[in-house]
Amino acid sequence: MEIFKKTYDPVISLAIISVLNIFLFLVVGAWTVGGGETMMTGLIAQFFMGDELARIPFWNLVFKPDAGYWKIYISLGMLFGAIVGAVLSKEFYWRVPKHLSEWVMITIGGLLMGIGIRLAFVCNVSTFFGLTPQMNLGGYLSVVGIIAGAWVGSMIYKKVLES
Amino acid sequence: MSIVGQCIAAFVFGSIVGFLVQRSRFCNTSALRDAILFKSYRNTKALLVTMMILTVGFTTFMTFGDGHPLHFDVGINQVIGLFLFGIGMVLAGACTVSTWVKAGEGNVGAIWALLFTFIGMFLFSLVWSYSYWPPASDTMNGEVNLAGLQFGFANAATLQEQTGIPAIFFGLIQTAVLYAIYRVIIRKEQRAEQQRSVKQSTAASTSL
Repeated sequence: MEIFKKTYDPVISLAIISVLNIFLFLVVGAWTVGGGETMMTGLIAQFFMGDELARIPFWNLVFKPDAGYWKIYISLGMLFGAIVGAVLSKEFYWRVPKHLSEWVMITIGGLLMGIGIRLAFVCNVSTFFGLTPQMNLGGYLSVVGIIAGAWVGSMIYKKVLES
Repeated sequence: MSIVGQCIAAFVFGSIVGFLVQRSRFCNTSALRDAILFKSYRNTKALLVTMMILTVGFTTFMTFGDGHPLHFDVGINQVIGLFLFGIGMVLAGACTVSTWVKAGEGNVGAIWALLFTFIGMFLFSLVWSYSYWPPASDTMNGEVNLAGLQFGFANAATLQEQTGIPAIFFGLIQTAVLYAIYRVIIRKEQRAEQQRSVKQSTAASTSL
């Protein structure tokens, strides 16, 4: 079908997401990803380590692994929705980074994202789609941080592209 | 709402988001990176429009005490954390949303980025278990905590409490600021468009 093939306008798509996000805000809380990912990390670690995990204070005091944490299901939903979108538009195919430099950048980038989320208690989604629209002081602090970080990251990215 | 209900609502919301983000190719990373590196604002404009809608929506409901705003003390750790996150997302070429969406498109690099996000979180959980900083939510009381580099808690609802002015009023001011940024970007784009057409017309006249 044609509607599944064309690229949607990002402004309209994001406006629909915003309205749904306001509904979610009324029901459980605004869109967020970092918390769900942390809980998944905890659940995966618990799978491998069993009760040993509870001996690490963080997983006992801050995030007790709990499969009933709603934020996990936002992430799983996004994965599911993206697979549906990609399959319907015939855009699903395995894409593997070709250069070693890409693998290195993705590895470092992934680690920095994980560490950053845990250090800040928030990810980019809560920054732009939760905290800042709620006028939370943390939102403004996070926006300053993420713009500065994106600028430094862009300069590194440019250097790598040019070399 | 029951736990199962919460999880179902979250999954339905996530699915629609995943579909729309995949079909519109929106990416939070490129909203910042493309604006910085390439002066291209397709995603930046979408991000600003979303923030305007959400600011009006959230602050309207917060005026009446509805909704579930995020509630924890904030401090220097937000600036440092998101700074590291900002570098990371540009290097990985994906943020928390697009890693999931690109993973759904079959992007092995995005799956790799997700794996290392999890590893990064686990590594930091070990560091936290040693440093106990940033403070855990149990110890948060909304007050300034200089030893923990924390500023306490403030949002549109606390502003309303302290000033007696409805939260929506502050929300509208923020929306106006966001709109002003949006207008600056639109003007920049128009100017770039004019320059391009001038160049094209001079190129056409010299070729005649």
